[in-house]
Amino acid sequence: MMEVLSMQDVSVDRGGQHRILNIQTLLVRQGELVALVGPNGAGKSTLLQTVNLLQPYQGKLRLFGDEVGASNQNQLRRRSSMVFQEILLLTGSVFDNVAWPLSFRGISSREIEARVYKALADFGCDHLAQRPAKSLSGGESQRVCIARALVTEPELLLLDEPFASLDVAMRSAMMEEIRTVAQKRGITVLLVSHNFSDVLYFAERAVAIFEGKILQDDRPEILMRRPVDEKVARLVGMDNILPCTLEQEGEKRFVTLTEGIRFAYRGPIAATTSVFCCLPGDALTLCDGEEKDPADGRVVLECLIDRVLPGIGTNRVLVRLGNMILSVRLPRDCAPSQLQSGVRICLRFDPQEAHVV
Amino acid sequence: MISEGIKQAFQLMFSFDPEIASVMLLTLQVSGTATVCSVALGVPFGVWLALKEFGGKQAFCGLLNFGMGLPPVVVGLFVSLCLWRYGPFGDWGLMYTPAAMIIAQTIIAAPIVAGLSFAAILSINPKLRLQLISLGATPWQASRLLIREARLGLMAAVIAGFGRVISEVGASMMVGGNLKGQTRVLTTATVMEVGKGNYDTAIATSVVLLLGAFTVVMLLTWLQHSGKNERT
Repeated sequence: MMEVLSMQDVSVDRGGQHRILNIQTLLVRQGELVALVGPNGAGKSTLLQTVNLLQPYQGKLRLFGDEVGASNQNQLRRRSSMVFQEILLLTGSVFDNVAWPLSFRGISSREIEARVYKALADFGCDHLAQRPAKSLSGGESQRVCIARALVTEPELLLLDEPFASLDVAMRSAMMEEIRTVAQKRGITVLLVSHNFSDVLYFAERAVAIFEGKILQDDRPEILMRRPVDEKVARLVGMDNILPCTLEQEGEKRFVTLTEGIRFAYRGPIAATTSVFCCLPGDALTLCDGEEKDPADGRVVLECLIDRVLPGIGTNRVLVRLGNMILSVRLPRDCAPSQLQSGVRICLRFDPQEAHVV
Repeated sequence: MISEGIKQAFQLMFSFDPEIASVMLLTLQVSGTATVCSVALGVPFGVWLALKEFGGKQAFCGLLNFGMGLPPVVVGLFVSLCLWRYGPFGDWGLMYTPAAMIIAQTIIAAPIVAGLSFAAILSINPKLRLQLISLGATPWQASRLLIREARLGLMAAVIAGFGRVISEVGASMMVGGNLKGQTRVLTTATVMEVGKGNYDTAIATSVVLLLGAFTVVMLLTWLQHSGKNERT
């Protein structure tokens, strides 16, 4: 697969002093759907603007296999398109707005007309062509912005949280449409989001950014179940991040949670000063209370139900274990009569599901 | 006296009095040319200042804001000193000519046009420029579209600049001299008539000035709002 983006030791400074982006290495290949995740102010948008050559930077940046220099910036930028979080439409009709990127490239008016209507039709807004752009609703405007970004048939699409202001149904539909178009045309997409459910829905690769640095670059499910540190764990919405201690006994390592829960741990440990045990809510399952010390090495916990939060597919059950509150995701058909506040239940988990950071 | 002055003003206008017509024409020529010059200087400068980031920009903006309130008599004095026979540009022979009045009025109006153009461009979302460039616009294409987008504010700058120069009297009197048939404009004529005690004539010239200014400003306002309907 062709290399679309390559960054090596790329940094961006604000005011010549404060470093807001510091990327050691990032490689994106053609057709990849990559999500950049991180908290507000992490540098995600700056990274996107740097890739779109809208931001002065230091370091080595290659786009579409070419080294970026002063002479080829506009030419390389024209092979990509960016959609911002805000609706940035000009005064004029929807048609005029979508036609501008083609006009910038000196394309003939006959070809512009055909391409604009095709781009609008791809996103179901060809009927809006003659409407004033400023009279559209939020959802319609963002559709037009995406059609405008794709009218030039870019090889790289940069999306800076364009769905943030849309309702859940609309954002899922838009993500699906963009995903379909991108996969059909082989467009590489970099999506900035701080909503991890967007990432799971859209991307096949997730890059976690904190304070301008990449902390983890892997498949979304790996970030979700094997975060490299506590910050990434909190970002992806890990259900249980429990303080723990780690002890080495000969060849084996043991994790001890509060309330004296102890189990052998074989997984990797990130080099951090604080130690936390991450336990996904769906790793905990209901079990029979008799099974105190199962032979398969699973850990059994006796808990008291604190609250039951109904959900689609699974109920989120908050259980109390000593001073700790655990979040458990149990299937909806799972012993419904037992899932009430104040009821004692027995849960178990496989230590392999636990992840120490 | 006021009603007499207003009556005389309409008589002067509808009788097509050649003297008042020539004064009116010169007023529009001088103020119109000064407005065009101040727009030609002020709009690009204001747009550049709004879009360019550089050290000391804030101090520069402060100077521009100060320029918006330049006292006309000080400008008149400065231009007089420059154009006076022994001044640095004395050889050009511009003193007591409409050209000298245009220069003075341009110096007065240009900072106003630049300052309001600066504000008009800043009122647009700064990300719009980035969006246009990211869509493939060259910096020139992006600036052209931003100016188009800010045209309501920019036309307000033009109207304010015209309003300032057409009402200006101090500098015009100093560099023009209020010479009959050469540099007499409606404002200087009004001052002169007041000095002579002809209050009814002064009121008449003032009414003519107000009607002339009103007509031009209404025309500019119509231009300003001609493309506004598409916004809603």
